[in-house]
This record gives sequence, C-alpha cells and structure tokens, in this order.
Amino acid sequence: MSDLVVECLGLTRVYGDDAVPVHALQGVDFRVTKGEWTALAGPSGSGKSTLLHLVGGLDRPTDGTVAVDGEKLNDLSESQLSDLRLRKVGFVFQAYNLIPVLSAVENVEFIMQLQGIEPPERHERALSVLDQLGLGDIGERRPGELSGGQQQRVAVARAIVTEPVLLLADEPSANLDSATTLELLALLRTINEQRGVTIVTATHDPIVMGHASRRVLLRDGRIESDEVVSSPA
Amino acid sequence: MKLTLLVQLSWRNLWRHRRRTVILLTTICFAVGSVLVFNALLRGMQVSMAETAIDNLNGHFKVLAPGYLDDPGIEKSFEFEPIGRPELAGDAIQGWAPRVRVPAVIRSERETRGVQFVGVVPGSEEISFLGDVAIDGEYLSGPDDRRILVGQALAQQLETGVGRRVVLITQGVDGGNRESGYRIAGVYDAVGEGIEKAFVFTGLATVQELLSVDAVTEVSVRLAEDDQNPSVLNSLTSTFSDLDVRTWQDLEPQAAMMYEMADTTVAIWFLIVMGALIFGIVNTLVTAVMERVRELGMLRAIGMRRGAVIAQVVIESMLTMTIGISIGVVLGTLSYLWLADGIDLSAFAEGLEMTGVKPELVPRLWARDVFLVVGLSLVLGILASIYPAQRAVKVQPLDAMRG
Repeated sequence: MSDLVVECLGLTRVYGDDAVPVHALQGVDFRVTKGEWTALAGPSGSGKSTLLHLVGGLDRPTDGTVAVDGEKLNDLSESQLSDLRLRKVGFVFQAYNLIPVLSAVENVEFIMQLQGIEPPERHERALSVLDQLGLGDIGERRPGELSGGQQQRVAVARAIVTEPVLLLADEPSANLDSATTLELLALLRTINEQRGVTIVTATHDPIVMGHASRRVLLRDGRIESDEVVSSPA
Repeated sequence: MKLTLLVQLSWRNLWRHRRRTVILLTTICFAVGSVLVFNALLRGMQVSMAETAIDNLNGHFKVLAPGYLDDPGIEKSFEFEPIGRPELAGDAIQGWAPRVRVPAVIRSERETRGVQFVGVVPGSEEISFLGDVAIDGEYLSGPDDRRILVGQALAQQLETGVGRRVVLITQGVDGGNRESGYRIAGVYDAVGEGIEKAFVFTGLATVQELLSVDAVTEVSVRLAEDDQNPSVLNSLTSTFSDLDVRTWQDLEPQAAMMYEMADTTVAIWFLIVMGALIFGIVNTLVTAVMERVRELGMLRAIGMRRGAVIAQVVIESMLTMTIGISIGVVLGTLSYLWLADGIDLSAFAEGLEMTGVKPELVPRLWARDVFLVVGLSLVLGILASIYPAQRAVKVQPLDAMRG
C-alpha cells in the first residue's frame, strides 16, 4: 500500500469571476507521505491556506485532483466529504474554535459523538488524550475559563482523538505568544513522532516552520521551493 | 448523527445568553397564556350565546308545522302525540316540550301590548329558561292551569302584577278573535327584557281550549349533550317527515353566526399574537446563528452534515417553544382557574343582552383548544426556524478557518 497520505496533481483554484479572476493556485503538484510534518509557508496570498483547504476537503479545486489516503476528493459529494473529514482529517484552527458551551472534555468527546462512538469509550479516550497533552486537570472547564494556549491544546486533543490519518493546522500559533507556541510545537512533534500522525501546517511563523520536517514555500499560487529538513529545531 | 447529541448541544446553546433566552421564553409563555385565557373567555361567551338561544324556547331542535315560521298562527299546527316520539339511542334527549305559541294582544286595566301567548306543559319546560327562571308569585301548576306568567318588564309596561287579571286576545283557526281573562300567577325575571316583554305563558290545555284545538304549534327537543348529534336530527326528520324540523341555528341565525364567528376570532387572535411572536423568535435565532458563524463552520469542517446543522437550529427553536409553551399553558390554566367561577358582567348587561351573553361569563377552557394552541405554536416554532436554519446551512466550513 502507498505511503502517500496526500496527493495533489495539477491543482488549480481560481476565485472571483471571469472578469477579475484571482488565481490562488496554479497547477500545483503536491504530495505528502505518511509521518511527515510539512509546513506550507509563503507570503499572504501565496496560496498556502488555499492548498490546505483543498487538501482538507473544505474547498473544491477549479482544476486538478486531490486525494487523501487514496480517496479522490473530486469525486465525493458534499456529505461524503463531510464523512471523510470526520473519519480521516483532524483540524486545528487559528482561532481554536472550541464550542464554548461544552467543557474541555466534552469538546474532545464531541467529534467522537459525531462518529457514533458509545459514551463510556469516548469519555475514556477523551480523558486519556487530555491527560497525555497535560490537560488532565482542566477537563471540566469550559473554553472561556482556559488560556489561549490551553484552548489550542484542547483543540489539538479534539483533532487527534479520532486518530486521523492527517492533521491540518491553519496558522495554529497565530494567537499564541512565543512560549506557548513552543509548547504547542513540542506537542505537535510528540504527536508526529510518537503517534505517527501526518501533519500539514500553513504558517507565517518562522518558529513553526523551524519545527517542521519539510518546508514548502509557495508564491503566487505556485510552489517555489520544497525542502526536507534533516534536523528540525 | 444521534438526536440526543443535537438536543444536548441545542439545550446548552439556549443558555449561552441566559437573559435573551429568558426574555424570549417570557414572551412565548405570556403569548400562549394570553391566547388560552382569551380562548377561554371567548368560548365562555360562545357557550353562553348558544345556551341563551337554546333556552329561549328553541331547544337544540324544534319541530314545527310547515310554514309556521313565515306566518305563525294556530292554523299552522299539528297533533303531536299521535305521531309519537322516535326511538333514540341512549340518553341523547334531555327532554321534549310541546307548546302552542300564537301571536296575541294582552290588555291590562291601563295598557295593551302585543305578545306571544304560549301554552306549555310546565313540567316539560325544564329544558327552557322557564325551568330555572326566578318567579315572583307562583309557577304554573300543570297544563290545565288557567293562570298566566308574565315577564317583569311586561308587567311594568302593563302596570299590573301578581294576582291581577289581564285579558288576552288572539285568533282562532277560523280567523275569528278568541278572548279570555286570566289571573297572573307569577312574574318571571328572565335574562333580558326582550324575553320578558315577548312571552306570556299559561297551561297548554288552557290555550288549546281557548282556540278549540288539540294540536300544538311546536315541539322543542333538548339534547343531553351540547354537541348536536346528526343521528338525532336524522331520526327527527324521518319521524316528522311531514313537518319542519329546525336546528337552533336555523331559528336564531344571528346567534348562530356569532357562535361560528367565535372560532374565527380565536384563530385570528392566535395568529396575531403568535404571528408577532414569530418575528421575535426568527430574530433571536438569526442573531444566534450569526454569532456562531465560526463555530458552525468548525462543526461543518470536522464533519457535521448540513442536515445536522439545520436540525440543530430547528431543535433550538423547538426547545424554546416547548419550554415557553409549557409554562404558558400552566400560566393560562391557572388564570383560567382563577376566573372559572365566573366574571360578573352585569354592569354591561344591556349591551350583552343583544348578543345573548349572560351577565355572568363563565370561561371555558377546552382541551381541544389547548391542544390546538400547543400544536400550532410548535408548528410556528418550526416555521420560525426555517429562515435561521437556511442562514446556518449557508455557513461554509471555510468560515471556521478565518481568524
């Protein structure tokens, strides 16, 4: 079986109308193999977020193909895409996006509820993941009672609790200070190395780029450079 | 996706903005409560109007000679007993009241008035207002009683009273005048001066003797239940096939129209109150959706389907409505119980007399009205959630990615 978790071929995404088209991606070929931690970098408007969204099945390409874990996303209906995201992709958002009316442990459990996992198992798994991420003592607190760093770690716990094949993080450190960013990156590294979770992050942050094992630089909707880092920070 | 999860999430979302939810719930429960109380008052008026119409010598059904209504007189009469009464199931009929009713002129020592001279079987008049009317003097002792009952207002007009004599003049079958003197046994105090001025009562046999007939001009039939049973009407029309069988609605079309209008009024009031409320619900739900665009986007991004997002908004609306309606029904019922002994409207008695509503209004809270209000409110709750749900479902997963 192929080790390819993501395979994008000739990926093009054009926004706007025919009169004023905006070429966010222009025929990008992009592959991610299992266990990689890839950082998509580049200036604003370079296409890194667009690429991340297409890989996560949050957006559809104008042209080209995207496959995740061997499933071609172009062929999937809206609800099939929802199912794929639920089963195979974990998301970490810039603004954490926790559900404010649920406690930390309930936020982590929520995605398993969507998957139909029974209460005892999902509660046990949620507690276990929170514990592993050093959040064992804040499980009953609601997001409003947590710091930004704690919220982002709960978001990571929610993203990995279902053991996705791919973890997508969009500017995960944008709202964090440097110390908290480093804590988050250490956490992602542990997840990447110990759990073998494949990670793709879109980031402006040089600290984040420094921790990834592969750096893909985009500019004007094209990949400008793609380098594997032998010894990330 | 499990419904319990959506209900749980919707429930928590409800209390995200407690003050807003409490205000909305208060509005719903007052709206529902006020609709129920209004319903109960209107139903009370409706029943009162119907009872008055039925009590006023109509009964639920009345058997008449053909043409009597157009040209009332003793020549439009029929012999009741030879036909007999139809076999009717169970206790559908409360009673029968045969009468002779003819136009007449009543003359006292001082005044003369036109009236309806009515011969009755006193024991059978339990089914009309005569059964429980207040009487100064004595009630008629039987169909052979030769004395009369007059209304209080008529007695005042005639400047007469109990024990005094009056003369009644009417027309016989042959068209000739029949005249006789009668002593006043009692003066009755009915609901409404119109009745008191219109009807003079005596024994049935007394009028038949005056007019030299064995016939009656009408037979009122009162049912045990207020709901008119079509099978009873069918039995009556088939038994009295040569006669005219009329419902009280035929005989009192104005009262019947007002009775029917009560249903429409209930519906209009409901739509006005709940229609206004629905805008409040839509506004609150849309606000709630717009506040949660990023969260809804996140839910879509992590795999929640469109249907589940719609269901979440609908459930939130339904939960709000269910709580508001439940409290509203309790409030409405308590208010109804507080008023259940009756409301004294005697200060408006003259105006009410025209509508046939009795001076003491007893509200009626019918289970079917409660179920209807609850059911329609829930339907409105669903309708109110359609637009907010549409707004929610338009939220794209990408909306969650924006910082």
